[in-house]
Amino acid sequence: MLKLIGSLLVLLVSSYIGFKMASRCQERPRQLRQIITCVGSLRSHIIYSCLPLHEAIANSTNGIYGPIAEFFQQVANLLEKNASLTPQEIIKKVLSEMEGSLILKRPEIEVLYVLGGNLGVMNCKEQEKYLSLVIEQLERFENEATRLRDLNTKMYRYLGICGGLAIVIILL
Amino acid sequence: MGLDILFKIAGVGILVSVFHTALKQAGKEDMAHLCTLAGFTVVLLWVVQLLGKLFNTVQDVFKLF
Repeated sequence: MLKLIGSLLVLLVSSYIGFKMASRCQERPRQLRQIITCVGSLRSHIIYSCLPLHEAIANSTNGIYGPIAEFFQQVANLLEKNASLTPQEIIKKVLSEMEGSLILKRPEIEVLYVLGGNLGVMNCKEQEKYLSLVIEQLERFENEATRLRDLNTKMYRYLGICGGLAIVIILL
Repeated sequence: MGLDILFKIAGVGILVSVFHTALKQAGKEDMAHLCTLAGFTVVLLWVVQLLGKLFNTVQDVFKLF
């Protein structure tokens, strides 16, 4: 009886881990897409409406929900409150605060970090060029992430369930 | 004891084949082969123990020392 309960628990936990990994895999392209949307609308807000940076960033999250919107909102809040910090420092701070909920890998984080360093230090035209470049880079990452998602989601699920079964059989 | 180990080995075999397919589909052939090897090793460990027992029994039966 005890063995049965133990093996069920092992099976449940390993399947949970598998499904969790799969959902992380699915979440990443979605978050990247949201970042692209935000940066795109930030570009429009900077170039056409010429808003101050914190307002532009806050407005750029309109219609977007989830961790990415929260990230940009937090950046905007901190920008408004702390005049002494540069955008780069703020982005770094918020990124480290929200490490758990943002499923981003090193290259995207570096891109965001460099984006912070270049926000608000050039004129409109250069800014537009730079933001287009960032969007292009992020789109490349998104394509890669979508490819990885298609490959890995199923694999993680199978591996989770089968790994649990394997552990149970070996230990039984 | 008798049939138990057979079913265990069959289970490991089925699982390893599923692992292999899943990993291969994800384009990780090297991991798939590694997985197969790991399953094989586990089964081999069980079988070697049983073989050792068998040899001991044979020695005991025929008094070969």
